[in-house]
Order: sequence, then C-alpha cells, then structure tokens
Amino acid sequence: MADGRQAAAQRPWVFAAFALPSLGWLLAFFLVPLGIIWLYSVGENVSLTRVETTWTLLNYARILEPEILDLALRSIRIAGLATLVCLVIGFPMALVIATASPAAKPWLLLAIMLPFWTNLLIRTYALLNILGTRGRLNEALGWVHGHLHGAFELVGLGQLGLLEERFTPFTFLGTETGVVIGIVYVSLPFAILPLYSVLERMDKSLLEASLDLGAGQLTTFRRVLLPLALPGVVSATIITFIPALGQFLTPDLLGRGQVDMIANVIERQFKGANDWPYGAAISMVLLYATFLLLALRAFGDARRSAARNAR
Amino acid sequence: MQRIRRPLHLLRTDRRRFMQAGLAVGLSLKLPAGALAQEGQVNFYNWDTYIGEDTLSSFTGETGIEVQYDLFADNNEMFAKLRSGNPGYDVIVPSNDYVERMILADMLLEIDHDKIPNIANIDPMFTDPAFDPGRRYSLPYMWGTIGIGYRKSAVDEPPTSWNDLFASDKYAGRIALMSEPTNVLQLAMKAAGHSLNDWSDENLAAAERMLLAQKKNITAFAPDNGQDLLLAGEVDLAMEWNGDILQVMEEDDDIGYVLPEEGGLLWEDCLSIPVGAPNIDNAHALINYLLGAQAGADIADFIYYATPNAASLELMDEAYTDNPAIFPPAAALEKSELAIFPGQEMLRKIDEAWTRVKAG
Amino acid sequence: MNLLHRRVRPDAFDYSRRWSLRTVFAFGCVFLYAPIVVLVVFSFNDSRRGGNVIWKGFTTKYYAKAFGNEELMLAFANSLTIALVSTVFAVLLGTLTAVLLWRFRFPFKPLVEGLVALPIVIPEICLGVALAIFFTQLGWMDTGGLPWPLNLSNITIAHITFCFPFAALVIRTRLQSFNLETEEAARDLGAGEWRVFMDVLLPHMRPGLVTAALLSFTLSLDDFVITFFTSGPNTVTFPVKIYSMVRFSVTPEINAASTVLIAITLVLTWLALRYQKTLNT
Repeated sequence: MADGRQAAAQRPWVFAAFALPSLGWLLAFFLVPLGIIWLYSVGENVSLTRVETTWTLLNYARILEPEILDLALRSIRIAGLATLVCLVIGFPMALVIATASPAAKPWLLLAIMLPFWTNLLIRTYALLNILGTRGRLNEALGWVHGHLHGAFELVGLGQLGLLEERFTPFTFLGTETGVVIGIVYVSLPFAILPLYSVLERMDKSLLEASLDLGAGQLTTFRRVLLPLALPGVVSATIITFIPALGQFLTPDLLGRGQVDMIANVIERQFKGANDWPYGAAISMVLLYATFLLLALRAFGDARRSAARNAR
Repeated sequence: MQRIRRPLHLLRTDRRRFMQAGLAVGLSLKLPAGALAQEGQVNFYNWDTYIGEDTLSSFTGETGIEVQYDLFADNNEMFAKLRSGNPGYDVIVPSNDYVERMILADMLLEIDHDKIPNIANIDPMFTDPAFDPGRRYSLPYMWGTIGIGYRKSAVDEPPTSWNDLFASDKYAGRIALMSEPTNVLQLAMKAAGHSLNDWSDENLAAAERMLLAQKKNITAFAPDNGQDLLLAGEVDLAMEWNGDILQVMEEDDDIGYVLPEEGGLLWEDCLSIPVGAPNIDNAHALINYLLGAQAGADIADFIYYATPNAASLELMDEAYTDNPAIFPPAAALEKSELAIFPGQEMLRKIDEAWTRVKAG
Repeated sequence: MNLLHRRVRPDAFDYSRRWSLRTVFAFGCVFLYAPIVVLVVFSFNDSRRGGNVIWKGFTTKYYAKAFGNEELMLAFANSLTIALVSTVFAVLLGTLTAVLLWRFRFPFKPLVEGLVALPIVIPEICLGVALAIFFTQLGWMDTGGLPWPLNLSNITIAHITFCFPFAALVIRTRLQSFNLETEEAARDLGAGEWRVFMDVLLPHMRPGLVTAALLSFTLSLDDFVITFFTSGPNTVTFPVKIYSMVRFSVTPEINAASTVLIAITLVLTWLALRYQKTLNT
C-alpha cells in the first residue's frame, strides 16, 4: 500500500502535472454545474421556469416525509440485495477470466461486456419478454414441470402429490424480485470488471505458500485470496450499489410501476412535477451522504498511513 | 476536394426522409466550419412516427427549406429540456396542457397568423380553446382521447365506467393504469363524478384514497406499454391513449376501445414556436404547410390519429372518419374534457399524493 | 485431471480449470445472454405491435427498415464516435486522478477523494439538467450548426465528466496492489521519473486501464439521460433515438437496430484485437 507516500510539496511539478488536468476538469465541468444545482436545492420556484435562491431549508425538510423515507429504505434494500447477488455471481466469473489463458482472456472479457453494448431499454423489454407470466422462463419451467409430472406418474409416484397438478407460473414482474433481477442484470459487468482488475496477475506465490502449508483450497480462498482481493470487492461494491440506487427505468418497467425507488421520485421532480429545487435537494442528500462516507474513509486511511510512516 | 463517401443507406433512393444524416455528414466534410447554412433550414422537434411518410420531403420540395427532424418521447422531457434553454428548435409539438404551461412560462413566441393562410382549414371546434384563446401561441396538429382499451372476450359488456378500473373488484388483477400521475388522478376524479379539472384538496385526497384502496387490484402502472400488456393477455382492461389501442386493435380483433359514460380525457397536440427559435420565418412556413389540406390528410392517413383539419377530413375515407376509436361518438365526446394546467402548487400536491400511492 | 492415479492438485491459481467455477461462469453467461438471444431472435419476428412478445413469423424486413432509416444510422455513428472519444479521455483523466490520489499526500486530500467520487453518485437527471443549464449560460448549447464531429462536443464533454471517476476508481484499485519494491529497484538502477512511470507502473496498471476503458465505453455508449439534456438539433445518439421510437411501439426494427450495433461493435473489437496481435508479434 503506497497510499499517499509522497508529499505533494516534495515534487510540486509532477504533482501539478497530475492534478491540474484531472481536478481542473472536475472543477470546470462538474463542480460548477453542481453548484448551480446546489443553489437550486436551497431555492424556491418563483415561476414555472425560474428558481430563486432564498436559502430555504424547506426542500430538505420535505425529504423527511414518511413515504420518502420508506422509498429510501426500499431502495437501499433492493440495491443492496442486487449488489450482493452481483458479487456472489461476479467473483467466480472474474476469477475464471483472470486465470484463463492469455489468448482466451480478451474474448472472455468481450463476452461479458457485449450484452451491455445493447441498448438498456431494449434489453429491459427482452427481460419483460422472458419474465412475464407467459414469458419464456415460465414456459421453460412449465415444460420442465409438465415432464417431471409425467415422469412421476409413470413411475407411480403421481399419487404422492409431490408436484401440483397444474403449473402455476411464477410472478416476477411487478415484484421486488423482478426488480432485483433487472438491476443485477444491468449491474453485473460493473461488479465483474473491478474484481477482474484486481485478480489479474495476482501474486500466486502467496497462494502456493498457503497450499504448501497444508491449507485446503477453500481455506486458501477464504483467508488468502479474498483478503488480497478486498480492494476490488470494495470498489465493485461502490460502483454497483450506487448506480443501483439511481435506477428508475427498471422499477418502472420490471416493477410495473409497483416498486418505486427513490430515483423515480427524483426523476419526477425534474420532469412532471417541475419542482427542481426539491429534486435538487434529494440529489444533494445522496451526494452529502456518499461524500461524507468516502471522505471519512479517506481520512481514516490517511491517519493510518501517517501512523505507519511515523513508525 | 476530397471524394465524399456516401454511406450505404443513401443508395436506397426510395426513402426520401429529409435532413438525411448521410447528406449532413457528407456536406460537413466538404464545407468549412459553421457553413451549414441556417437560412433555408428549420429545426423540427416532434414525437416519433408522428408525421406522414413523405411530408417533410414534400415540404422541402415545395419550399426549398431543409428540415432537421429531431424526436422526443415525452412532454415532460421536452419541457425540462427547453426550460434549461432552447438548443435551437424552431417548431415543437407540445400537448395542450403543456402549451398552457409554456405560455405561462413565456416560453412560446406568438404566431403570426398572417403568415399562416392555411389556418382557415382548421375545424371551428379548435379555433378558440381555453388553453390558448385565439390560438396566438399554438395551432392544432392532432387530437385524441384517453379511454379504456379492453379485451372483448374477457368482459360481459364493454366497460361503462371508469369505476371499473378505479373502484371495482370485478377485474381484479387484470387492470393496467398509466404511469403519468396527473392523468391517472384526473380520471380517478372523473370516476368519482367530478370534472377532471376540478383540482381541489378534497378531490385530490379522495382520488388518492381511491387509488390506495384499488392498488391491490392493479397489475401495472404501465409506462407507455399498457396496450402491449393488453395484447399479450396480461391484463384485460387498460387505461390508454386511443392511438395506442388502435395500433393493437389492428393486430387482434378481440380488442376494443371505448370512452366510458363519464367521458374520457381529450388531448390535443399542437404546433408551436419556442422562444429562441433561430429560423422564425421558416417555422411559419413549416406550420403553414402542415396545416394544408393534402398534407394533413397524408399525415392522418399514415399515423391514424384524429385530425383537427376540416379540409383534410374531407379528403379522408370512411374507414377513417367512421372509426369510433379515432372519432368518438358525440355523446361520449361531449362529456370528455381537455385537461388544463393544474398550476405549480397543485403539481406539487399531485406529486406528493402520487408518491404516497406508489410507496404504500 | 486423472482420477485413476494419484490426484494431481490443480495449480494454485488455476481456477479457470475447475469445473465448479466453469459452471458458475456458464450460468452467468446464460443469464447475461438470454435476453440478448431473445432480442436477436425477435428481431426476425413478423409483428408490428404488442411489444414484440408473441412470435408471429419470420421476416428480415425489419433489418431492411433499420438500414434504410438514415437517422438510425447517423445515431449509431454518433454514439460510437462519442463513446470512443470519451473512453480515451476518461481513461486519461482517470489515470491522472488515480495516480494523484495513490501517490501523493497533500492538504485537503480526503476532500478531493470525496469530490472525485461525486459524479458516480449524482442522479443522472440531476447532472443532465445541471449541464444543460451550464452550457446554455455559456452559450455553448446551439452546436447544431457546427460540422460533425464538433457538434457532439457538449455530449462528449458530459460523457467524459461522468465516466472518468469510474475509470479513476478502477485504476486506483489496481494500483493498490503495486509492489513498491519494483519501483525502488527501478530507481536504484537509475531510471528517471518518466521511465519509472512508463516501464514499471504502466504495465502493472494495464488490466486496470483495460477495465477502465471497457467500463467507460459501456457507460458512454448506452447513456440516455445526460445525452438527452445536452444534445440539440442534429446531434441524435442511438439511445435517444431508440427511446423515442419505443414511445410508439416496440417493433422488431428496434431489435434489428440493436443487433446491428452489437455486430458492428463486435467487428470493431475483433479488428482491434487482430491489430494488437500483429503489433505484438
């Protein structure tokens, strides 16, 4: 870990070479527009199209309404579940890609990215096609059910009632399950890529040492590989969970409008409700929360590495 | 001068949509920067599939003005985008309540009627609406209704009331509503016997309660795909735009469209010129062309919505003029209403009510 | 693996050989590709309406329609261009940011760390509206008159802005596994600042750079909301065009268009890999 090992003052020109383009861009094209939105969040609508910054906290106060808090909790729950599923499926997949032969690697990476170069809306409609009550998945499950049932009858187990007479299709759409599936589908490569990036060319000698010392595959995985891959897991979590919170299309289509998330509310403020100050306020709260978490974490890291350097 | 490589699709000459991408790309490779002439051009921002096949190319043929044709999908989006600043559109197609909104927000330019002789073609019913008296800021393009699409074999009789969707258990689990808060609440108010423009705190609260109670019977708040759910058999009743239902009626004879006895919602899409339009004269020329008898007839024939153009109507055949899904029967039409803009304050309350309905 | 003889332990890191993991990978691929397969199959469906859910018959006419749709083709071209340019700059800026945060200590560093992450968090519609207002205030909004590709500049700037923090995050994560001793060794051997960066740091970062590029490309190619707000006349991109088409009906033409885009992207990538291979040999 080399985090912050060199004081900027030591090599000011090198520091400037790195800092000016990146932070300059951030300032010009992100922070300034963000400033406009921030001013809106403490402002009010004075006409249909103008917002005046009156330094009011009313917009923030509205966020404390019970229905907003409910939606926020639901969003965290759904996004969290989706992130978990992504990590569980994504880690093995990243592992396979990272350890594949050099010839196969680019193709495997391409293979997992390719679906995501299709338009999101069309993919979501395809998911609708699959997950509907008469969709492809239920068709397939019904087929399996029918044949299993037939097989049981044949074998004489029909009377035991192991399977229902008729297959009742599962309902995915309009439920949280459907929305989670949709978000997993949209987020999977964002989980796989950082994990792959960390696992690629990992130092094998540590794993070999562990195996030589008698630890089994599973123990090695748990106590050597996983901790080494932890930074990747953390960044995978961040870039999966946070955009998942911002999903509004998936709840609309796959949730059939029954599973609204916080992003739906934000979107409505900027569109139908024409209440930009309120929309800005909710967005700013998300930003404050994340900023605080990350800044605190960075602060903690800085203290730890300062302590280490002092030793 | 370098050889311009025309993209493959331009080899098909039968497709004469205008401001061809390829042409633009080819031209811009040849001309110096910024030379894409602004005179002789008009930027038209419309809904998709909302114009005749050859309308724009005929317009260019007649006037020499080229059309840059861009598309949007939602009044809300168009409004939000133009509110941030007009990126250069000359003619837009907002719906009636958005025309009202934009007039209030000073976002529309006055239309010079002297430059629009074809204004005489418009049916008198549309010449002086409440949302734009005297048609100073907008001219009618198409109109229609929001009503109930239904599957004939799944119902005993065509639905007679909005309460079938909003207050009854008869079709539990087989109902789709729309996802636009204002429209749904308006029709909930109609189901309760009020006018759909009667926005009061009590009416809104009653509509909210009605929806919360009915929520268990509703399959979907469909964002623009209610007609698809109907066709696929996922629902039997769908609150939808008449045009959408008409489209699926073509695929399936078992689907019908009706305006219930309380009446439906009337909508009107209009042509307007937003403030900041760079080519105002050309905008007028385009609007005038679209209001022409033949042009209007071609458009109506292609997109199958109701035309407010009396001169065009005369050129249409019976399959169109007698179609009850396009032109509702007089009785139902009388009780149907055009939506008015509820006002910013009420918009906020509508949104809060809707959030409560969705979160509950 | 030879089950009859003494069990040969698979190599420590040879996970790709293990069948348990291969199964998971296969399952993951089935999950990812099922909707794509449906999408491609239904692009040949002879159905005009109904969300394209019921199979009605085979036809290729929608491919003809898609190719004949000039705006759609322009939208492809625009989207690919924006994505490629954004990716290059996003990876560039992302690398600079990542190295900056990884290597240096400076006052207010936690503040900067927090700020750099904000574009990841901000809801797209919020950023879209903010940038629209920003560009309008600057008078940069009306780019329609500029020649291609300059008319796409607003959209490209917006894309770079929201892509580079993702790139930075991924690259920085990769940097955290860098063994400092390698760098020290290089310096001991006399390498200067630039050499150390190019010959020691960059190769280690490479998987991170590849990942960052893939991520940025994906984010940019499929962006709708931010693009919608920062685009003007004559700057149509593929997602914006699709959204407006879907408004009226989900026809197989949209599926056809998407399939064509995948095919084009696949071909381009294959060409790039081939080119890279000839460079390496």
